[in-house]
Amino acid sequence: MPAEPQPPTGTLTVLVIDDEPQIRRLVSNALTADALLGADGARVEVRVLEAATGSQGIDAAAAELPSLIILDLGLPDRPGLEVCREIRRWSLAPILVLSARHQDTEKASLLDAGADDYMTKPFSTVEFLARVRVRLRHARSMTTAPSANAVVRFGDITVDVQLRRVERDDTLVHLTPTEFALLRALVQHPRQTMTHRQLFGAVWGNAEGDAQQYLRVYVGHLRRKIEGDPVRPRFIQTEPGVGYRFEPDGVVPV
Amino acid sequence: MTQTNRATTQTIALWLALLIATTLVLLVARAELDKAHVALAYLLIVLGSSSAGGRILGLSIAGGAFLAFNYLFLPPYYTLVIANPIDWLVLVAFLITSIVAAQLLYRANVTADTATRRAEEVDRLATLGAETLSAPDATAALVAMAVVIRDALGTDSCELFRLDTDGKLVHAAAASRIADVTFQRTPIPANGLASWLAGRAEVAVELPDGTTRLDPSSTESLLVRALYRTLRVRSQPVGVLRVAARDGLMLSADRARLLDALAYYAAVGVERVRLVATAERAEAEREVEALRSALLMAVSHDLRTPLTTIKGLAQEIARGGSSATRAAIIEQEADRLDALVGDLLELSRIQAGAVRAAADVNTADELIGAALQRAHGPLGTHPVVVSLSDDLLAARFDFSQTLRIVVNLLENAAKYSTATSSIEVAATRDGGRLLITVADEGPGVPVGEEERIFEPFYRPAGTPPDVRGTGLGLSIARGLAMAQGGTLKYGARTGGGALFTLALPAVDIPVE
Repeated sequence: MPAEPQPPTGTLTVLVIDDEPQIRRLVSNALTADALLGADGARVEVRVLEAATGSQGIDAAAAELPSLIILDLGLPDRPGLEVCREIRRWSLAPILVLSARHQDTEKASLLDAGADDYMTKPFSTVEFLARVRVRLRHARSMTTAPSANAVVRFGDITVDVQLRRVERDDTLVHLTPTEFALLRALVQHPRQTMTHRQLFGAVWGNAEGDAQQYLRVYVGHLRRKIEGDPVRPRFIQTEPGVGYRFEPDGVVPV
Repeated sequence: MTQTNRATTQTIALWLALLIATTLVLLVARAELDKAHVALAYLLIVLGSSSAGGRILGLSIAGGAFLAFNYLFLPPYYTLVIANPIDWLVLVAFLITSIVAAQLLYRANVTADTATRRAEEVDRLATLGAETLSAPDATAALVAMAVVIRDALGTDSCELFRLDTDGKLVHAAAASRIADVTFQRTPIPANGLASWLAGRAEVAVELPDGTTRLDPSSTESLLVRALYRTLRVRSQPVGVLRVAARDGLMLSADRARLLDALAYYAAVGVERVRLVATAERAEAEREVEALRSALLMAVSHDLRTPLTTIKGLAQEIARGGSSATRAAIIEQEADRLDALVGDLLELSRIQAGAVRAAADVNTADELIGAALQRAHGPLGTHPVVVSLSDDLLAARFDFSQTLRIVVNLLENAAKYSTATSSIEVAATRDGGRLLITVADEGPGVPVGEEERIFEPFYRPAGTPPDVRGTGLGLSIARGLAMAQGGTLKYGARTGGGALFTLALPAVDIPVE
C-alpha cells in the first residue's frame, strides 16, 4: 500500500447525528476510548461532535468539516436519506449510517445516495469500530489516485483489462462482452461494494435495456467460469439486495 | 290441456254410443217393457256418464235420454206428444232424477279431487319440511327447498335470494330443470329487479313481452315468464323467491295458495342461512381472538424472559458482582430479544400485507450461496451438500426476502438434526418453477402436523428444550414465499428427516 498522508492535524473530528442521547453517548464513548484510529497505529486525538437533528447535523458538517460522519436514519425533523444526500453534495467525508430498520433495499438506496457503510441497530461496538477504521483508511487511500492497473491477478486468474483477455493458469477463459465488462467494473473497484445501479452504469452506460434485468444472471455465468465453486465464491462476493464486492485476496469460503 | 280434451271427446263418443245402443235394444223389446224399465235403463246411463265425463256430459246425456224416452217409448210413438198425463209424471220424474244425480255425482267428484290435491300439497310441504330438516347444512336445505318448490309449481327454475347484512341481495340457492347455463342463474337485470323488489313490494311478475308489473291485483290465470315474491319472516323482508318457466307459467288459485305456503318455508330457510352465517362469523372472530391472545401470551413470555435475565444481571453487577461473564450473558439475551423483535416485525408486516416483493431475475447459485454464508453460524458443524444443475437456473423473486426463507430453512434444519448430520440443498427446474429444496436427517414432522409447523410459535411435541429460536421462522418463510408468488411446502424426506420445497416462478435465460 502506498504511503498515506497523515491527517492535517493530530485530532480527528467525528460528527454523530442521532436524536437518541444514549446512542450518541455510546458511539462517542466507543470512539474516544479507542486510541488506534490513526493511520499506521499512530495515536490520534478524537473529537466528537454531537447533533440531535438532521438540520443541526448538516450545519455542523458544513461548519466543522468532520473526517467522518455517523448518521442515524430515524431523525425527528427530516429523513436520514435526505440528510445523507444533502451532505454528500459538498462533502467527501465518509458517512456511516445507523438504522433500526433491517432492510437490504434501504441499504442499496443509501449507498446510491452517497453513504459509505451501513449498520443496523443493535450493533456491537467492536464491529462498529472495525467499520470506522475501514472507512477512514479507505477515505485516505481515495485521496491517492485510484490504481488503474492494466493487469489484475487474483487466485489463479489473470485479467488483462487492455487486451480484454482472461486466463486461468495460462489457459484462455472465454467471456462474453457483457461478462467481461462486468468483471472489469468489479476488479477496478477492489473491496468496494458496487451497487446494482453502479454496475448497470459501468456495463451498459446510461442506456435502458432489457439485458439489465439479467445482471445477476451474467454474474452467475461469470462465477461459473472463474470461481472454483459458484455457490461458495471467493472473489465475487454478494451483498444481498445491494450489489457485489470484488475481493482480490479471496475470502475463505464458509 | 290437449290431453284432457281428447279424453273428453272419447268419453262423449263412448257414452253417446252407449245411449244409442241402449235405445236400440230397448226399442226392439219395447212391447215387453214397462216405462219404468226404460227410465231405469236411461238413468243408469246418465249416472255412468256423469261420473265418467262430468256434469256437462251427464246433463247432455240426460237431455238426449229424455227426448228418446219421449219420442220412442211414450205413446203416441214417434212424436213428442204425450197422451197419458201419468206418462208426463214419469218423464218429469226421470228428468229431475237425472239432473239431481248428475249434480250430486259432480259435487262428490270435485270434493274428491280437492281432497287429492290437498293431500298432494300436504305431501309437498311434508317433503319440504323433511328435506329442510335432513339437509346437512342450511345452504343445502335451501337448495333442496328450491328443488321442491320448482317441482311443486311445475316451473323450470326456482331461485332464492337472501338479503345480507348490508341490505344487499345475494344469490342463495337455485334449482333449474334446464341445462342451459344462462337460464340456471338469473341474469343481472333480473337480479336487479329482485334486489329492487326486496321489501318494497310483495309480488312482481315478468310478462312474456318482457315488461314487469308490480303487485298485480291477481296472479291467477295470468301468463307470466317469471314471478318474484318477497320472503318475510315476522313481517321483516329476508329475501326474494323467483320462479320462472320458459314457456310461461300460469298459477291457478290452488297453486297460488301453495306458493304462499312454500314461500313461508323458503323464508324460514333463508333466515336460517343468515343466522348460520352470523353464527359462523362470530365463531371465526372468536377463533381469531383466541389465536391472537395465544400469540400475545407467547410473545410476552418470550420477550419478558430475556428481559428478566438482563435486569437481574444488571442488579448483580450494581451490587458489585464480577461483570465479565454477566456482561456476556446480557449481550446474548439482548441478541435473543433482537432476533425476536425482528421476527415479530417481519411477521406482522407479512400479515398486514405490507411486504412488497421487489422481484428481479435472480439465480439459484447466488441465492444458495448467500444463504449458506448468512446461516454459517447456525449451520455449525453440519456438512452441507449442495447439488446444482449443469445449467444456471434463474427465477423471478425478491432476493432479500427469498434469502430470508432459505436461511430460515437452513437454520431450522440445523436446529432439528444432530450436529454432524448432513443437510442437503438442491436447485432444480420443474416446468415453470424453480424448486429449492432443503433436507435434513432429523426426526421430521409428526404425521398430521405438516401444516401446523407453519403456524407462529408452533413447536412439534417432543422438541428438546435446548432448541432455541423465536418459533416464527417457518411462518415468516411461508409468508414471504407467498408474497413472491411462490409456495413453501413440507414433505417427509425419503430415508427419514424433513424436506422443505420452495417453488418460485422460473425464468428462461436468454442466450447472449
